[in-house]
Amino acid sequence: MNHPSQTRALWAAVAGVPLLFAAIAVLQMKINAGTRAYTAENDELMLRSGSAVRQMSLGYDSLVADIYWTRAVQYYGSRLGTDGAEFGLLWPLLDIATTLDSKLIIAYRFGAIFLSEPPPVGAGRPDLAVELLKRGIAENPDNYYLSGDLGFLYYWRLKDYPKASEAYLEGSKIPNAPAWLKMMAARIAEQHGSLETSRMIWSQIYETSQEKTVRDQAMKTLRVLRAQEDEAQLDEVAQKYKNRFGHFPASASELRDAGLLRGTPVDPAGYPYIFGADGKSSLDPRSSIVIPHELNPPPEESK
Amino acid sequence: MSATVGPVAINTFREAVRDRVLYNLVLFALLMIGAAILVGEISIGIERLVIINLGLTAISIFGLVMAIFIGVGLVYKEIEKRTLYSLLAKPIRRWQFLVGKYAGLLLTLTVNTAFMTLGLAAALFYVGRHFERSDTSILVAIYFILLEFALVTALALFFSCFSSPMLSTLYTLGIYMTGVFANDIRTIGDFTRNPALLAVTRAVYYLVPNFHNFNAIAAAAHGSAIPFSLVWQNTLYAALYVALLLIAASAVFSGRNLK
Repeated sequence: MNHPSQTRALWAAVAGVPLLFAAIAVLQMKINAGTRAYTAENDELMLRSGSAVRQMSLGYDSLVADIYWTRAVQYYGSRLGTDGAEFGLLWPLLDIATTLDSKLIIAYRFGAIFLSEPPPVGAGRPDLAVELLKRGIAENPDNYYLSGDLGFLYYWRLKDYPKASEAYLEGSKIPNAPAWLKMMAARIAEQHGSLETSRMIWSQIYETSQEKTVRDQAMKTLRVLRAQEDEAQLDEVAQKYKNRFGHFPASASELRDAGLLRGTPVDPAGYPYIFGADGKSSLDPRSSIVIPHELNPPPEESK
Repeated sequence: MSATVGPVAINTFREAVRDRVLYNLVLFALLMIGAAILVGEISIGIERLVIINLGLTAISIFGLVMAIFIGVGLVYKEIEKRTLYSLLAKPIRRWQFLVGKYAGLLLTLTVNTAFMTLGLAAALFYVGRHFERSDTSILVAIYFILLEFALVTALALFFSCFSSPMLSTLYTLGIYMTGVFANDIRTIGDFTRNPALLAVTRAVYYLVPNFHNFNAIAAAAHGSAIPFSLVWQNTLYAALYVALLLIAASAVFSGRNLK
């Protein structure tokens, strides 16, 4: 090692190797820039058949399923919230992941959310979400969460209350299923899409879910539902005010001054509700609560 | 017997260690650390699942590569380096030499797998901060992987008794792939109306080692219980097949003219 030529070779390596790596990285960036134009949309899935992928995975199906599930998450995440984004590969990716590993519960549950959410938040394909969950239930008959998810999908996205009730009821028959599934089945059958039922369902999702993203979404929706309930009640009180004084209140404080309310009601974000000339209450424009288009007007029989 | 087989086995193990075969453990450790840190960032809800799947798959692939590439050179290297002649001049029979070589490589693979199992356990603990009772399925899956190594090593050793390393690798890989697809081969036969093809596919199904039997990775990842009956059946299956291959290898090697 003391030989001068060896020392020179060592220094050449120490300096040369990082330099060459840097040069390669720069070159790769140039190649990427040059090919971006024609590779941007080239994310086609080579194999769309789960069975074919299974054959090629040489027995390591479950790891390949994890890879496809991760690809589905990345694919969804890269398009989430982008106007005009298409989710064409979402179903094939989920199909392959769940074909390779039929016990991959997370892929059924989250995949159904990705598929059913309306664009630009999801693929807007609740029909495929239903198919995915039904397949999951068939493969995992002891998993009541999947039945709950199917019931929720029918209830919230498809507004098909008889099927929602049926799905919850089926889930409640699974051994060790929690009692709330049967309660949901009965309540939906009885009251269909009431705000109270929606709140119960979202509360259950919030309480039973382990995933932060789902819990956050559930909390967000619960706040929206509370605002909707508040607005419905305030509209009733505003009508009483009109019956007494001949005109609608200009603000919530007028209702309070008239003794119809104990205090000034605020939305879950802390802003007071405002009233229009028609006496309808609504959220303060500064409020962070946003009632999604699909919830406005509220579900049927909401009062 | 153990007085002659044992030293050959120990020397084979030492030789593998000297050849830095166990360096693959570093790669395995890096893989586990990378997966444990990365998966949570790029996927949802499968951290534990990926650690188990990736760990068991890596244990299986690393071991299979070692079993095949070292196995095919076990006999060939001794002949090439002419060390076999001095060895056979001692009171050791050819079959004892073969069994010793086989046991040595299997010992290497077992030690390697044991270290990888520790690495997998560490990664699992890092991700979940606890172990679950169902994790015993992972140990069963690893045991099945070891049985798979035992079979593949025996196959590689058998071919290396009469063929070059290159051809032995191809033969072993060919048989391994056929064994992985054994169930599909039988299914193809079931779909055909040709009785000859049906007979051929059935024969292939029962002749080649069915590696599908040893795949319990998915069950381990999901914490499903693996029935004890499968454990002893797979153990017996592997033992019978290994015995068959070692007897055949000994017969071929004993009849081989080494001059």
